[in-house]
Amino acid sequence: MAIVNRAEGRAYLTPLVGFLLFFLGFPAAVNLVYSISTVSFETLRSPSLSGFGNYAAVLADREFWGAVSFSMRFGVLTAVAECLIGLFLAVFLTPLLAKRSYLMAPLMLPLMVAPAMIGLMYRLVLHEFAGPVPYYLFEWFGDSPAFLDVENAFRTLLVVEILQWTPFAFLLFYMAYAAIPLEVREAASLDGASALKALWWIELPLMLPTLVIAFFIRFIDGFRVFDNVYALTGSGAGGSTTSLSIYIYQAFFKGGAIGKAVAASVVLFLASLAVLYGLNWITGRGRR
Amino acid sequence: MLNLMRWLVFSIAVLAMNFPVIVTMITSFKSARELSFNPGFWIGEPTLENYTRVLGETDRFNIYGYLFNSTVASLIGTGVAIALAFPAAYAIARSEAGKRTLLPLIINLRAVPLIIFAIPLYMMYQWLGLLDTQLGLGLILTIVNTPLALVILVNAISDVPSELDEAAKMDGASSWQVMLMIIRPVVRPALVTTFIFGFITAWNEFLFGLMLTTSRAVPMTVGASFFFAASGGGVQWGTASAVMVLGALPPALLGLLMYRQISASLTGAVKG
Repeated sequence: MAIVNRAEGRAYLTPLVGFLLFFLGFPAAVNLVYSISTVSFETLRSPSLSGFGNYAAVLADREFWGAVSFSMRFGVLTAVAECLIGLFLAVFLTPLLAKRSYLMAPLMLPLMVAPAMIGLMYRLVLHEFAGPVPYYLFEWFGDSPAFLDVENAFRTLLVVEILQWTPFAFLLFYMAYAAIPLEVREAASLDGASALKALWWIELPLMLPTLVIAFFIRFIDGFRVFDNVYALTGSGAGGSTTSLSIYIYQAFFKGGAIGKAVAASVVLFLASLAVLYGLNWITGRGRR
Repeated sequence: MLNLMRWLVFSIAVLAMNFPVIVTMITSFKSARELSFNPGFWIGEPTLENYTRVLGETDRFNIYGYLFNSTVASLIGTGVAIALAFPAAYAIARSEAGKRTLLPLIINLRAVPLIIFAIPLYMMYQWLGLLDTQLGLGLILTIVNTPLALVILVNAISDVPSELDEAAKMDGASSWQVMLMIIRPVVRPALVTTFIFGFITAWNEFLFGLMLTTSRAVPMTVGASFFFAASGGGVQWGTASAVMVLGALPPALLGLLMYRQISASLTGAVKG
């Protein structure tokens, strides 16, 4: 006996599907139409179809490729760093944390604070007069770098992102590490494997699916970064911190280049579909 | 020795990761005078004046408005998400409907950069009169919350043995009644987790608040940034810090109260 028959099942799904179609499906369709139209704030309701000029303009825009490059580098570098540090913390700290779960709370706190808020907080932390970091650097070394100028802004943002989101990777690895059955470890040590060897040859392979997933989640989140970058630099430092999300936002609000912004959105959408497809393919293979 | 190293690594990690929060808290207890000559970690004369100003001078600081807007929008964004996701999760867990296409599709939504929907949503909201309203912001936060809500609830309902449903159906209950009267109480912990997690996510959202609100419905994350665009005399770091602490406090407190459940559901969500 099926507990929920087909008709009932559909009825239960309908509100959610309808809601998503309205709030995402309609905008997606609008995006597609606008991306091949000539449109301004005055002609929002009467865009005139004009072919693929917006796409051509976007693909020829050096700032667009600058933003793509920023997002790619930012996504890959932060994801790699977060996964490596998170993995180290999970493996190294497990003996400490296993019996004292309350220690997890301060490690998870950064995940509870809004990225935009973290961005604002770093404005204070790094401020040349009010911030403690430049203050102590001057005090101890007589000099402090300009953390948010063209040269350093990218690195500064990397550190900000990594410090906030390493706990996320850590948490996933901690759970995956704890889920490895005790017998596996006992068998390895009975066979004379050192802790390091067991980690490399047995435990890490078992955690591999989690590693892949954590990397992709952090890569995607880093790639589409907006909040903390916008709050901290407002894409400033000579445009050196314009992520793809910020590029789209600025093309729309500051430049009024709606067609371009929308075309860039469609490009970004297709790119993220490609990434998702890749992820599903990889994890699908991992499960088999 | 090794244990000492572990404590050391743990302490460094906690300090480094929470560094901006710690600095902001310290700064919020400094007077404007002290701040100008002492940006360091030690406070000579701790004071509450920044908090009394921010919370007292309501004609200058709209902090209650921001907090209220964030609360209302987050409640809508979480409540609607659960109301939509719970029946859907029940159908997915107890029938074949939606399992193959809908569930993966919605899970993948989490990974789509939401900025790509933001521009048409802005136009749509203009037509619908939802720009700069708490309802409008709340409905968008629903979308942000739906993927995780669905995953958590599908996992939770799948863990409930279906014999429970069958027994109730034998007694003549409809599947709707089973869902509301049998399943809902059993998965209450998951519902609470979903709610808290969704509330934190919604509270911390920034992009849609920035794009879809201008004055009446501005949420805390966006409102806090106004204190940095201060005209004239530069940023008032003391009051700005107090604002940031107040804005970060609700989600942080909720998160710390619930960190066990949240970590469990985070990992559950990844497995799903």
